[in-house]
Amino acid sequence: MKNVFYRWGATALLSSAFLFTGCEPEFEDDITVSRGDLDLSKYVAVGNSLTAGYQDNGLYLEGQAYSYPNILANQFSYAGGGPFAQPLFSQAQGNGSGYLRLAGFTATGSPLLVPVTDFLATESATSPFFKDEFTTEVQNFGIPGIRLSDIKTPGYGSAQGNPYFERITPDANQFQTYLARVSASNPTFFSSWLGNNDVLGYATAGGFSGTITPVATFTSLYTELITAMTANGAEGIVATIPDVRSVPFFTTVGPTAKPLLTAAVAAAQAQGLPITGVSALTKNTPARITITPASIKDASGGSILLTLTSSAYLPLIGQPTGRYWRELAASQSPTNAAATLRGYLTTFQIDTTRAFGLDPRNPVPSAFVLDDTEQAEINTATIAYNNAIKAQATAKNLAVFDAYEFFNSIQGGFMLNGVAYSPAFITGNLFSLDGVHPTQRGYAIIANRMIEAINAKYGATIPTIDVTQFRAVLIP
Amino acid sequence: MKSRFLALLGSAVLSAGVANAGGFQANLQGQKQIGMGHVGTGLVLDQSSIFFNPGALAHLRQNGIQLGVSALNAKIAYRAPAPAINESYTDNPLSTPFQAYASFGKEDSPLRFGIGVYTPYGSSVNWGKSWQGRFGLNELTLQAIFIQPTISYRVSDKLGIGAGFVYSTGSVNLQRSIPLTTQLPSGYYAEGGVELDGAASGFGFNVGVFFQPTEKLSLGLTYRSKVEMEVKEGDVTFALPSSPLVTSQFQATQFDAKLPLPANITLGIGFKPTEALTIGVDVQRVAWSAYESLRFDYNAAVRGEMFSESLRNYEDSYIYRLGAQYRVSDILTVRAGAYYDNSPVEAGYLTPETPDADSRGVSAGLTLALSEKVDLDASFLYINKKERTDDASKSGGVPGTYKSVAYIPGVGLNYKF
Repeated sequence: MKNVFYRWGATALLSSAFLFTGCEPEFEDDITVSRGDLDLSKYVAVGNSLTAGYQDNGLYLEGQAYSYPNILANQFSYAGGGPFAQPLFSQAQGNGSGYLRLAGFTATGSPLLVPVTDFLATESATSPFFKDEFTTEVQNFGIPGIRLSDIKTPGYGSAQGNPYFERITPDANQFQTYLARVSASNPTFFSSWLGNNDVLGYATAGGFSGTITPVATFTSLYTELITAMTANGAEGIVATIPDVRSVPFFTTVGPTAKPLLTAAVAAAQAQGLPITGVSALTKNTPARITITPASIKDASGGSILLTLTSSAYLPLIGQPTGRYWRELAASQSPTNAAATLRGYLTTFQIDTTRAFGLDPRNPVPSAFVLDDTEQAEINTATIAYNNAIKAQATAKNLAVFDAYEFFNSIQGGFMLNGVAYSPAFITGNLFSLDGVHPTQRGYAIIANRMIEAINAKYGATIPTIDVTQFRAVLIP
Repeated sequence: MKSRFLALLGSAVLSAGVANAGGFQANLQGQKQIGMGHVGTGLVLDQSSIFFNPGALAHLRQNGIQLGVSALNAKIAYRAPAPAINESYTDNPLSTPFQAYASFGKEDSPLRFGIGVYTPYGSSVNWGKSWQGRFGLNELTLQAIFIQPTISYRVSDKLGIGAGFVYSTGSVNLQRSIPLTTQLPSGYYAEGGVELDGAASGFGFNVGVFFQPTEKLSLGLTYRSKVEMEVKEGDVTFALPSSPLVTSQFQATQFDAKLPLPANITLGIGFKPTEALTIGVDVQRVAWSAYESLRFDYNAAVRGEMFSESLRNYEDSYIYRLGAQYRVSDILTVRAGAYYDNSPVEAGYLTPETPDADSRGVSAGLTLALSEKVDLDASFLYINKKERTDDASKSGGVPGTYKSVAYIPGVGLNYKF
């Protein structure tokens, strides 16, 4: 009896195992992929750090590999897309410009960010220029730091120009402008996400340094750029400029600093100091403004934004300190720090023996505060730039990724694949450790939005990518 | 171009199985019945009446022991919502639902005693740790073994009644990824994860009436109660980045949970147009509405919450079964059948643990009489669930399109005395 059972059982199992191998579940419809009206054989990406894959305050090999143009090119390959050449760092120089990594958290839960300084591609820790040039073909022209106002600057690719553009510019062509370079790339499809730095530099400096490109200049240059890119009939996608006030660089510190400053101001008032708030510099002037703690933006209201860079200095509020000015002088003028420091203190009328932030004679530096006036300038410019961008898209029949609308729409957070996303620093999964640039996951989500915009505009069905395959911030 | 990503993404290890009926029910309780669409409530076929209809057991003329096992091989395919094209497949080692029944009673006595051990619910789904829905589920294994001592009484040649007490013992193991990535000393990235593992048990009953008004017609009605499987102090194990700021968010070490195995009411009709041919029809109502949510209560907070809960809100469903057997000779009996099973999962509630859809089953089987006392049963069941697309917006599941098929061969052995 037992033998019979075994034989029959074994036969049944063997025959079933044979059956299974050919019997996978199958979907009724095959996958649909189509390029629609597009010719994706040569894709060229025009842009700044976002386009390069910059994140964690640096450009490094992993970020380049997961740049949104490379993700787009990967997805284009399903729909007739050609190869896509990026100026990748070598493995040996894989940490590129260097970047920040999250080493841990302080006892109070603040992130400890430390610079990565090995396997760099730069000439030295202090020189931002690169050891090796990348002179073979490039289709990703993402240049960290480039403003639209730089695209016609001769020498921008020289040793006195932008290190990233210098890296991909052959020495013989060092006076070729960015516009001339990308115009010569002859794409069949292009993306353009330029213009962020025309407000961002001013914003992240808290209005202390940098300038806002005049709208007329922006509009003229943008028209020239898009005209050049579409000269040979290329189709493409343009992206608008996000409201920089919505990134963690500006939204992280305020909510934690607000109670701290409220207490500090109250304590000073209790000692008889006639103040209503914290004293701060504005723009690049010695003018003081008063910031009441209630006016600092957090969930309950307020509008004043504090930069991520301020978090190390705000605990010094109330102390007699000149640390910020000392460090600024050392970084700006390593060889002549003492004289530079004296210059700052004179220009901005600083008395470092006074209570930092509480006494108007030792105000909070302008670089830490984006006040209402500065924000209004930024917002006005951003909206005008975006109108210029969208006008060009309409004129040349291009797809638009409205980054301004997208980043505003996610302020409340969203769920995707069981993962919570928000603009929160580190925990929000979208923004990298510099608080301005997305994580790889964030770039992948943006790439999918761009694909959806391209599909809608050109009647294509280019597949989106599984964003869970990209990492967010690495947690120690 | 693709390889550039794949090299960095790592390879998927996918394997899985799934219950072969709506939800996580596994209707595989007798090899003869499986061969004929799992009808049996209105029939007297063998000792498996202990499950199918305790009221019919006393109408069996002989005592006997029956052992059977099925090799459940199910595969599920997943495709992400368009325009995405990424797909994932589950693939699992065979799971083996089994059944063992024994009955005994004096030849002339109207009383029959029986005991059944069978596996009416279970699920084994393994999507792996790299698919798009891994933060919902990597792997789920549910097991429930019912042990049912039974008494059956033949009121008359036409009427029988029976009842059984059910003790269920089982286990649950659920694994999912946590979206926190850390870098290992080797340089590779590792994602966090959690595993919930616990033993479960519950109680219930099974009662039935069997009525045979004529030689050619028989009827059966059974009620199998809900069995609430309760997990107490199951283990919670986290794999997380080591930073105290993270680990302090995931403090739980134990969990409690309750999983309802729903009640069933089945009406069965048997029809014997000739001595050799038997036709059966069953209509089964499964009270899936008992499954409202999947809730885990923790002994310490997980991300500030003492429990996690996701809605299921299953609805009651019907299964319609039709089958027949034909006695070719004294040695050989052949069977065929089919069923249609309505999914209890409503739109918006699809989950990767049971990516359920209305399903069609077709089956065939045979019995070989090896001797006076020994019969061998064989069955084969093919299940094809309809392709289903869901946004999973209400269950916290994984949106996309799912398609399941299952191949289930089985064998059984009967020894009569």
